[in-house]
Amino acid sequence: MQIKRKNLIRGDVAAVPAGVSLGALNNGFLWAKAADFNSDVDVLNYALTLEYLEAEFYRQGNSAGLVSGKEADYLDAVQSDEESHVATIMATVKKLGGEPVAAPAVDFGDAFDSREKYLTTAHVFENKGVGAYLGAAGFIQDKAILQAAAGIFGVEARHAAVVGNLLGLEAEGGVYMGVTETPLTKDAVLKAIAPFLAGAGAMGDGAAVTL
Amino acid sequence: MTSNMEKQIFDGQPVVAISNEHDRRTFLRSALIVGVGAGFVGYKVGDPTSGSRASAWAGNLAAPSAKGDLEILNYALTLEYLEAEFYVKGLEAGLLKGRELDLVTPIRDHETAHVEAVTATINDLGGKPVAKPKFTFPASTFKSRENFLATASTFEELGVKAYHGQVTLIDSVEILGAAASIAGVESRHAAILADLTGGEPFPQPIEASLPMSAVLKAATPFIAG
Repeated sequence: MQIKRKNLIRGDVAAVPAGVSLGALNNGFLWAKAADFNSDVDVLNYALTLEYLEAEFYRQGNSAGLVSGKEADYLDAVQSDEESHVATIMATVKKLGGEPVAAPAVDFGDAFDSREKYLTTAHVFENKGVGAYLGAAGFIQDKAILQAAAGIFGVEARHAAVVGNLLGLEAEGGVYMGVTETPLTKDAVLKAIAPFLAGAGAMGDGAAVTL
Repeated sequence: MTSNMEKQIFDGQPVVAISNEHDRRTFLRSALIVGVGAGFVGYKVGDPTSGSRASAWAGNLAAPSAKGDLEILNYALTLEYLEAEFYVKGLEAGLLKGRELDLVTPIRDHETAHVEAVTATINDLGGKPVAKPKFTFPASTFKSRENFLATASTFEELGVKAYHGQVTLIDSVEILGAAASIAGVESRHAAILADLTGGEPFPQPIEASLPMSAVLKAATPFIAG
């Protein structure tokens, strides 16, 4: 009846019995493919790429002079959180004896043309980040890393809600995304961020990022 | 280390718990230390691995088990009961309007749905959902918008810490995913209520956690029996 984390790590996703119904609680739960992550370092490097992207996004956005007052304070705090996440994850990968991926080359296009575009793009990033962490959480073996990843996931959800509120979006579907968060597969996340990775080289041989 | 806020919670007077930003930050730091001390000895932001698995199991924390998962779900259910009833009563009092009402109404609906979903999950797993306790809220809680929202903010931050305090203790990866999918929503609530009450929506870069004992102690004044 119980599905052990280690079974999933071994790629035994097919062994999840249909009889384990989590009912309304978790009807949208999507498992990332077992082949997506072979180790905690793999999961962490995936998260690191997303955090690099977010940290650089807010660095550029907050330098563009599009926001002020409380809004600017909030976005400064978000940038600081993302930078902290980058540092945390890099340190953790090293501690595990892994090699942190390098920061990708990025191109945010016209995201900084206006306050609305900046916040709208931020809203997408934050919600994708929430889904990415939730989708990958089941693959983390080390309990301390799982604790940290869950803790980062929660903070990304805070960011997503507040940015949605700054945009004045509908409470349900804009600030909150339903009764439960929805996990995203690695494929879905990579598709969503692909437009922001600069040039074919970013994903090709010898590129800094290997996803 | 005990903050003013916690003292007020223990005295059953949670409303207008924090009067200024300094006190709020002090409380959050205290809460972080409390959570870390009980769960991850030596854990430091910037290095998640500094709290080893061994330290997580140290003390009286049990290793994850299926039986433990049911206990954790019933713990979550108790907190969700508390939150759901709190928002039902608060919104019945008609203290909010406009954007605030729009933002808080879905929170009530989420908490009510969480109660139903956690109950269904416990049943699916062959467990017995705990009955809804009787809750008592201080009369002042629903007397003003300020009191209602300040208490809501307290409950949401407590709820977030409660879920994060169980992350390493959950055995089933499916239940972990389910609990996390609720915890993320609680984080959204916490951030919005902090914004509405002039607090800090992003109190730290990684969510803090509290062990079950500390959370239940904080919630006990509201549970009549």
